[in-house]
Amino acid sequence: MVEVAASLVTTLPPHIFGSDSVARRGWRQIVAALPVFVAAPLAGKAELLHVLLLSLVSAVAFEFLAAKIFFKKEKLRTGETVLIAVLFALLAPRACPAELIVLGNFFAIVAGREFFGGSGSYLFHPVLLARVFLQVSFPSAMTEPLVLDATGAWPIFGALILSGVIHLKQNQGYREVPFIFIAIAVVCAVAAGQYEGTVAFWNGVLLIAAFFFSDPVATPLTRRGTRWFAAGAAILSALLAPGGFSASAAAFSILLMNLLIPWLDLWIRPAGCRSREPKRGHSS
Amino acid sequence: MSLRKSTGLRLERKKDASLLNWNLKRPLSPAKVRVVIPSGSLPCVAEHESVQTGMKIAASQTTDGVAVHASMPGVIGKIERVSDASGGSSLTVEIRRQGEPRPAPANFTETRKGWEQIPAAELPEIFRQAGLVTTDAAMEPVHAKLRRHSGVRTIVVNVCEPEPYITCEQILTQSHPVEILRGAELLKKAACAARIVFAVEECNSEVIELLKSKIYFLKWDYAEVRSVPARYPQGLESLLLEEWFGEKKDEAVIFPASTAFAVYEAVAHQKPFYERVVTVGGECVVEPRSLWLPLGISFQDAIQTCKGVMREPRKVILGGPMAGTAQSDLAVPVTAGTAAILALPKEIAKEEVPEPCLRCKRCVDTCPVAVSPAMITLAAEQKEYEIAQAWGASRCIECGNCAYVCPSKRPMLALIHAAKSFREAVFHG
Repeated sequence: MVEVAASLVTTLPPHIFGSDSVARRGWRQIVAALPVFVAAPLAGKAELLHVLLLSLVSAVAFEFLAAKIFFKKEKLRTGETVLIAVLFALLAPRACPAELIVLGNFFAIVAGREFFGGSGSYLFHPVLLARVFLQVSFPSAMTEPLVLDATGAWPIFGALILSGVIHLKQNQGYREVPFIFIAIAVVCAVAAGQYEGTVAFWNGVLLIAAFFFSDPVATPLTRRGTRWFAAGAAILSALLAPGGFSASAAAFSILLMNLLIPWLDLWIRPAGCRSREPKRGHSS
Repeated sequence: MSLRKSTGLRLERKKDASLLNWNLKRPLSPAKVRVVIPSGSLPCVAEHESVQTGMKIAASQTTDGVAVHASMPGVIGKIERVSDASGGSSLTVEIRRQGEPRPAPANFTETRKGWEQIPAAELPEIFRQAGLVTTDAAMEPVHAKLRRHSGVRTIVVNVCEPEPYITCEQILTQSHPVEILRGAELLKKAACAARIVFAVEECNSEVIELLKSKIYFLKWDYAEVRSVPARYPQGLESLLLEEWFGEKKDEAVIFPASTAFAVYEAVAHQKPFYERVVTVGGECVVEPRSLWLPLGISFQDAIQTCKGVMREPRKVILGGPMAGTAQSDLAVPVTAGTAAILALPKEIAKEEVPEPCLRCKRCVDTCPVAVSPAMITLAAEQKEYEIAQAWGASRCIECGNCAYVCPSKRPMLALIHAAKSFREAVFHG
């Protein structure tokens, strides 16, 4: 018979945990993006794979560099750095110079993420921040259409739909949020008389809806807040790009909504913390 | 308290192992027990004095105190303070067995004549003399709880066990449904209430049918059975009352089914409260089951009554794995509030390395009282306890849902506990 050892571990409850983890969430988002990279060569967009490769190599290098600079342990296993590289590749414009891809990853990882405190602490979506930084700094190179939104890229359209479905199945974010963004973006486009129903339009909308509302760090802390966040981003996108939907304008609008997150968190609280507590010193 | 209806987690229930042995056995008496004497009572026996099962060993000193009774025959040993399962210390009376181990008697004494006609005013004193306390973590004397809730209209008998592994209430109700019904009726009579509601988890359809059929044959139109979603922490006292009665929650009082059973035994059979049904389980235990254990038996002896452990446990827990207390010393005694003793291996009771909060919102979405655990803990990490209060720290019921779902494995309860402790320190000196 086995004796119960004297060295029992005592910690606060709970003593069991769910199977979710940071690494699991990160790698599952990367898996959701795979259909796009598989479909890219089929649509004659093999350059997307080159962008991805360069983006991955530079992101991993900057992860180690950031670990050195900020005296941290690199966290490649969480998939966060790889996800940044993947998302940056998805947002890369056609014929994007290699040095801008490297610079974009540097900005996303070192400035966008680590400068704000690292995982979980950044205010702005690091990839979108890097994209906008490049857009402002190198407007001629970055105003080209995205690799993905070329007219006639039906395989990419199908892959984006599949990626969205995988995202929904993974249940990592709120399911209605991408639909809110899509619906408002379409309504705004129709209202402005700019809706053409092209594949390019839909690829842009789907790309933003499927991949850029699933970063929990850069979205509000409540379900209702996240809905407003998506709605605000869609409306701002329409205002910033009156000529039709633009992924760059969507990136700007999401960053602007990122600025509003502290206020959204304050205004839209869970029901249990809406009333203020008594001030210190008062009887409870 | 704001409440999200029917929220909660569908946890793996892990109750089947202990349900396989669902006949409630009484083990042989251990070498010694240490019966905890609650505050408000003082021992009335001396060292080396012989006692029999059910004999009074402590008398109440206050109106809210209760008598305490010997849980096995033997000789009084040391009367001293020892560490208890909550991490503090309690006054205990040690009873040492003399002679060979014997099983505890199933039937204690004769049936009290005319127990059904006892006036309501006399019942609280019977409860007090029988040493009846609630069989939940609060361990409040039954007569005191009834007095505190005077004027209630509904008695709620709680058969729910939302935590994994724990089956003691379910098995007791399946084994003794009529006794529990009678006990509930006595509680209703003592409280001068009008209704009885039995709360049963929806997945325990056998218990629901059993209670409904007994109520039907007893022709009790004042009693009903209501199902509760089988989601943790639905079924906890505060949540049940809030969800069912809302603004009128003060008109109901809740008792565990095992308390109703003890009430029946005390009134009808004059049996003092000296034993309770406890689930001894977890993957490490050889024969996990729910069984009668004398109050005061050590956790070590309780596990041995289920043939010990197959392998070394990482944690031994008082209560369930979501809200229970991990123990470092297995000499601590079983009390009226001990529903379960679980021995969990390292694969189940894992120690996780915390990572930064991702703001994934899972804690916010699963919080049954709709506070913001993420904001509370982020504030508590920075020692901004007033901000933590503003996000609802004081309303937290410490169910553990937020820590369970957290992908970053952050020490949510420790941080919330720190925020709550700060509040208590500020407001109560």
